[in-house]
Amino acid sequence: MSMSLPSGASSLNNDMNVTPMIDVLLVLLIIFMMIIPMSRKAIDTQLPDPTPQPPSAQVNPDQIVLEVLPDDKYAVNKEPIEKAKLLERLTAMYAPRPEKIIFVKGDTTVKYSAVIWAMDQARGAGVKVIGVPPK
Amino acid sequence: MGMSVSTGGGVKAEPNVTPMIDVMLVLLIIFMITIPQINAGFTAVPPEGQNLKPHPEEEGDQVLGIDDQGRYYLNKSRIRNEDLEALVGEIYLKEREDYIMYVKAHKDLEYVKVVDALDRISRSGVRVAALITDQTPNTESLVTSDRIMPGSN
Repeated sequence: MSMSLPSGASSLNNDMNVTPMIDVLLVLLIIFMMIIPMSRKAIDTQLPDPTPQPPSAQVNPDQIVLEVLPDDKYAVNKEPIEKAKLLERLTAMYAPRPEKIIFVKGDTTVKYSAVIWAMDQARGAGVKVIGVPPK
Repeated sequence: MGMSVSTGGGVKAEPNVTPMIDVMLVLLIIFMITIPQINAGFTAVPPEGQNLKPHPEEEGDQVLGIDDQGRYYLNKSRIRNEDLEALVGEIYLKEREDYIMYVKAHKDLEYVKVVDALDRISRSGVRVAALITDQTPNTESLVTSDRIMPGSN
């Protein structure tokens, strides 16, 4: 009862062609590797002190308050300013000042991204400390 | 002047790629598994900006997420909004190395909702809120200290 194994297909190449698969895998691998190490970036803001100091709460006349108003409008110390000129104005204001502190105040209806834009401009103008006034 | 091209028929010049495929498949699977875990639970698209400070992720970082509905997430797990002060206070109202909290809020949120959260975490001991922002593509910060790689501070 011996069965002879068919030994005919010796000239046929049985190896799979894996080159296209490797190409696809490499591309996928590179995509995933690029997604992972996205470094985190942020804008640091100082939060208000929750313990109130009533006598010294007087507004320091020297401080700069940047207000973000609705409809993409901005104001520095209550003085309205065009969006395009904000960076220039802040740079001019902060260049001679020793203390680079700004308070960024947002109107109740503005979007978060508008306020971030304003803080971003302030940092670009040389501001070191951004304060968030309480509501 | 005919030159006969040699047709060295019997020799195979193909490298054995099987181990390479094995390694790559394993790497691919590892990456595919880890990515959803990194992003799990909470998704928000942070706003974009140019002059940002690098804050590489570290052990012990506390991240407050605010999604587009204004719901709060503490380190990617959903918390009830009214529990924010209590939960953040547990972390920050004690001796710590720093009092920074990372705030990752959705870009189209109203700012009031973000200030509201900032007000509340400030009452729970947070001193600095780092508002997570994405770098606008193809821009670089105008602040020189941002371009130095972090760690020196």
